[in-house]
Amino acid sequence: MKKVKALILKTAGINCDYETQTAFELCGAAADVVHVNSLVEKKDKIFEYDILAFPGGFSYGDDIASGKILANEIKNKLGDKVKKFSLSGKPVIGICNGFQVLVKMGLLPDPELFEQISTLSYNDSDKFECRWTYLKTEKKVRNESSCIWTKNLPDVITLPVAHGEGKFISVNDKLLEELNKNNQIVFRYSTKDGKIPKYPLTPNGSVEQIAGICNTKGNVFGLMPHPERHVLALQHPAREGFDGEHGWGKIIFQNAVDFVK
Amino acid sequence: MKATTNCKTIEILNLSDKQLTNLSARNVLSLSLVEMKAVQDYFRKLNRNPTDVEIETIAQTWSEHCKHKTLTGIIKYTEKKGTKKTKRTYNNLLKETVFKATVELNKKWCLSVFKDNAGIIEFDAKNGVAFKVETHNHPSALEPYGGSATGIGGVIRDILGVGLGAKPLANTDVFCFGNPETKDSQVPEGMHHPKRIAKGVVSGVRDYGNRMGIPTVNGAVYFDEGYMANPLVYCGTMGIIPKSKINKKVNSGDLILVVGGRTGRDGIHGATFSSMHLGKESDVSAVQIGNPIVEKKVLDTMLKARDLNLYRAVTDCGAGGLSSAIGELGEKTGALVYLDAVPLKYDGLVPWEIWISEAQERMVFAVPPKNKKRIVELFNKGNVEAVFVGEFTKDKKLTLKYDGDIVASMDMFFLHEGIPKPIRPAVYKIKEENVQKPIKMNSASLLKALKDALADLNVCSKEWIIRQYDHEVQGQTIVKPLQGNSIEVSGPGDAAVIFPYTVVKGTKKGIVLSNGLNPQYGKINTYKMAANAIEESLRNAVAVGANIEKMSVLDNFCWGNPNKPEILGSLVRAANACYDMSKAFGIPFISGKDSLHNEYSIDGEKYSIPPALLISAMGVIENAVNTVTMPLKNEGNKIFVLGITRNELGCSVLAKIKNVKGGVVPEVYPKESKEIMKRIYKAINSKLVESCHDCSEGGLAVAISEMAFAGDKGVKIDIDVIKTKGELTVAEILFSESNGRFVVEVNPENKFKFKDIFKDCIFAEIGCVREDKNVAFESVKNKVEVKEKSENLLNAWRNTITW
Amino acid sequence: MFEIEIFTKEGFKDSRGEHVLSEISGLEIKEITKVDYAPVYIIDADINKTEAKTIASELLIDKITEKFEISSNSGSRKSKNSVIEVLYKKGVTDTVSESVIKAIKDLGITKEVKVKAGHKYYLHGNISKTALDKIAIKLLANTLVQEYKIK
Repeated sequence: MKKVKALILKTAGINCDYETQTAFELCGAAADVVHVNSLVEKKDKIFEYDILAFPGGFSYGDDIASGKILANEIKNKLGDKVKKFSLSGKPVIGICNGFQVLVKMGLLPDPELFEQISTLSYNDSDKFECRWTYLKTEKKVRNESSCIWTKNLPDVITLPVAHGEGKFISVNDKLLEELNKNNQIVFRYSTKDGKIPKYPLTPNGSVEQIAGICNTKGNVFGLMPHPERHVLALQHPAREGFDGEHGWGKIIFQNAVDFVK
Repeated sequence: MKATTNCKTIEILNLSDKQLTNLSARNVLSLSLVEMKAVQDYFRKLNRNPTDVEIETIAQTWSEHCKHKTLTGIIKYTEKKGTKKTKRTYNNLLKETVFKATVELNKKWCLSVFKDNAGIIEFDAKNGVAFKVETHNHPSALEPYGGSATGIGGVIRDILGVGLGAKPLANTDVFCFGNPETKDSQVPEGMHHPKRIAKGVVSGVRDYGNRMGIPTVNGAVYFDEGYMANPLVYCGTMGIIPKSKINKKVNSGDLILVVGGRTGRDGIHGATFSSMHLGKESDVSAVQIGNPIVEKKVLDTMLKARDLNLYRAVTDCGAGGLSSAIGELGEKTGALVYLDAVPLKYDGLVPWEIWISEAQERMVFAVPPKNKKRIVELFNKGNVEAVFVGEFTKDKKLTLKYDGDIVASMDMFFLHEGIPKPIRPAVYKIKEENVQKPIKMNSASLLKALKDALADLNVCSKEWIIRQYDHEVQGQTIVKPLQGNSIEVSGPGDAAVIFPYTVVKGTKKGIVLSNGLNPQYGKINTYKMAANAIEESLRNAVAVGANIEKMSVLDNFCWGNPNKPEILGSLVRAANACYDMSKAFGIPFISGKDSLHNEYSIDGEKYSIPPALLISAMGVIENAVNTVTMPLKNEGNKIFVLGITRNELGCSVLAKIKNVKGGVVPEVYPKESKEIMKRIYKAINSKLVESCHDCSEGGLAVAISEMAFAGDKGVKIDIDVIKTKGELTVAEILFSESNGRFVVEVNPENKFKFKDIFKDCIFAEIGCVREDKNVAFESVKNKVEVKEKSENLLNAWRNTITW
Repeated sequence: MFEIEIFTKEGFKDSRGEHVLSEISGLEIKEITKVDYAPVYIIDADINKTEAKTIASELLIDKITEKFEISSNSGSRKSKNSVIEVLYKKGVTDTVSESVIKAIKDLGITKEVKVKAGHKYYLHGNISKTALDKIAIKLLANTLVQEYKIK
């Protein structure tokens, strides 16, 4: 059978490309780290891939605001291709800086609209925060999320965050209502037993403790926590995970690879 | 050779001694009279005056920063103990102490020591791991943010520039600051407040390290008013390198490629400046601002070029800029450089400025002509500027051209070997230490002392710093700087472990990093300070599961003015401790660095910092999965103390908070300690250890409390069964800082196997983990019960630094 | 030459401003009641106001939480509050400006552009010049590499 192919988009300042690549590989996919310059040279190359990933880091130093310059670059140079890829239903993920890029170019929450209608702003603490968090996962029909990336997860998982600008804000309350109604808010920061937490368990002050959202179709997914940093139980502070060996993050990558298969 | 508008001739041939001294001072050359005379002699032989480019090149190459001339110079040392005097002459202190131990130990797994930008030991059959720690003190005093950022940027480039380039996996940082609670009015004019320095330094390391995508996983912060005007900023980087890429060789005819940032006027005289004392009037151009994104691009692309074998040698531009980098690479061949080819940030730089600028993010490569096109294309694809500026020759000369004119022409031999060896006197008087009067305290004051100790600036949580660093990027930090049984609690990890599974596919091995630093002991005895630092770094590593037989260490001396015999003498003592401990523990030094002249002036009065020796330890762990952390794990488990508690409270945390006079500084007993360390490794790998914590500042009381609150557990300890040397009071048992001790949690099922491993060692079972979440220390004999909720102790520890 | 200032919209948290305020109280200056933080970009290029507005709205602000004000020469904007402006000195590496220049190109504006990036702090409250200098020197600017102006 043909291997599932993931494209990991890289540019100056992206620094989670290696571990994201390793995570996809661990799930049986072939993953290429591709520089944005090469993709701009051959734009249609994007369609040779089954999965598109925007990894974490500090693209262009996060100057102006996190992810802003890369979002601007992609939108202006690759916008139509990225939109087409997303609307085709193939899995797209933005992690941390990648999530900031998706939100700031408007690929989330609505890739069809492709306008910025939400943001990830400065943490309430005005500090960079590197810590582990509990995440409550959204459940819908038959106790399952509509997001293809977050299936098969238990009610509460743990993943680490590391960001200075992760406070999710929507343009208005109506959008927030819609996100809720459509089950697009797939991860919320929570306490160990799924309740509403206080700082630092909610590390940035996001409205409704939002940590990750998807589009209505469930194929485009963005989150501030780092699933690629918890593909092994060994990476967890207390070495927790599932099957004695792997971490919750692996299920997220596995979902996308299995979906393509 | 001719003077041009851009390049001046400096009159030197006919200068008197006094004029030579003035010239050195006026041009910020930091050369002594003896050195200036050597320069004069050389140019008298050439029968001409030097150009400004030449004189600046010599000053850079001969700077303390580049040449370590004090420690490689001749030292006439006198030691006084009571009325007894012993004398010894060192022709090269480092070679006769630190380096000598490494040579004598002759470990096969040391792959590259003391010769490249970093030390390298073996990781596995195919890879080595490189480690280097640097200091960036003076710039951080003046511009804390830029200074520390360029400090971390610089040491990362050391790792990029070791062999043919290693991939950085982790950073470490250790800081010494003045007391952050200092009153504004007590801060000397022209200096920043210690808290501002601390915040700025942390932000600088944060922004550079985070943007580079290298996790900062280990560190320490030490506060002492002696560092108010002269903070210490140690930055370290560890990286992994294929064994086949460890050696570099420059061939005549290879082209010189400068890659990365452009050259500007930033950081001119940084190398010579670092050997000058700090004062109100400090040189402003010595400060640089870094750009981590440029360095990240260089890193990403150069490793590709390395794997395509496109170059034969590389080194970083650090202190002394191109002058040092090209000078070093071309030492054996000679080099011809066209200074006008160097890409500039802006116009207006004269040749000598281009040549010695310390602008950041630049690397120099030796490229075989056949790869000329490919390597530039590769760098350009990654948006990195790469420009050829000359070639390595075979005339063993350094020739610099600008606008077609030769502006410098000197023999490499003179540049690198022509520096006269200074002779310096050194004296050290060994202070007498006596046990303090017995410290008697009741239960209530013991509890207060415990809380005060946990809240002490040098013990308390450094969470405020650690969480601003992305210490988990790359996903390989499996033993973290803050450790907790759950997300809500945390305690201080002893060491960090990196599991490089994304780089070395399929590996089971880990790399442990730890440090030891005890400037407080140096105020009494620098030998003991050094010995303590070494043992502490090893103990920290062993506590998480390191193999004591596979550990290596780095030395970083930060000292005051070595022209003062007492200060140099205290350094000689510390260097001797390094030799003795390295031999006794069987732990080689693989690289090191010294920063002397850490001196500052207030109102014309000069002060030296309290001497500080940072020992950074690195080792390879066979089975990363077997490593352990410090939080207590399960109710019902037994608590053991390994090692013996002596009456050693000199310069201890208790002595500080109770204002105790006298006391003995902890002694290191390497034979005793090493035996325990070996067996801990065995116990950990037999899976008999649930948690393990090293016992240092604040003694057993602090160590056990930390394990309890990090585990969100209770613990009950019987003080009366703790093994002591001689009669100690309860306070002394709980707070003594004796070396060689570990606190270990063991499942009762494994108790007998565990005890069996430690038979013939000194140890005791002292208590158990309890459900009630109280930390309790009891002595029936002395009618003492110290009891507190672990949550309250956690808060005492957590709430000191919340800026 | 355009000076573009970025402000936090009403109803959103100005974390940086709040942080600076708490640090000012640490200097034992009690007169300040509020601090508004505004990043500032000085754009020196042969562009018209429409282009400057595009740069501001498409690139420099966060559309959800921020708004901008633009003036065609530096420092012409009036404020009833004391303002401290901090900029890097000439010759000091200004990494933000390099990124902004790249991003302006990505927007399709191909003219040669020079950018200076800085910070403005609007201080609410009655305060002496001496205290302002103290805030600037002790907190907001390192005069070794940066210069500040009080307005």
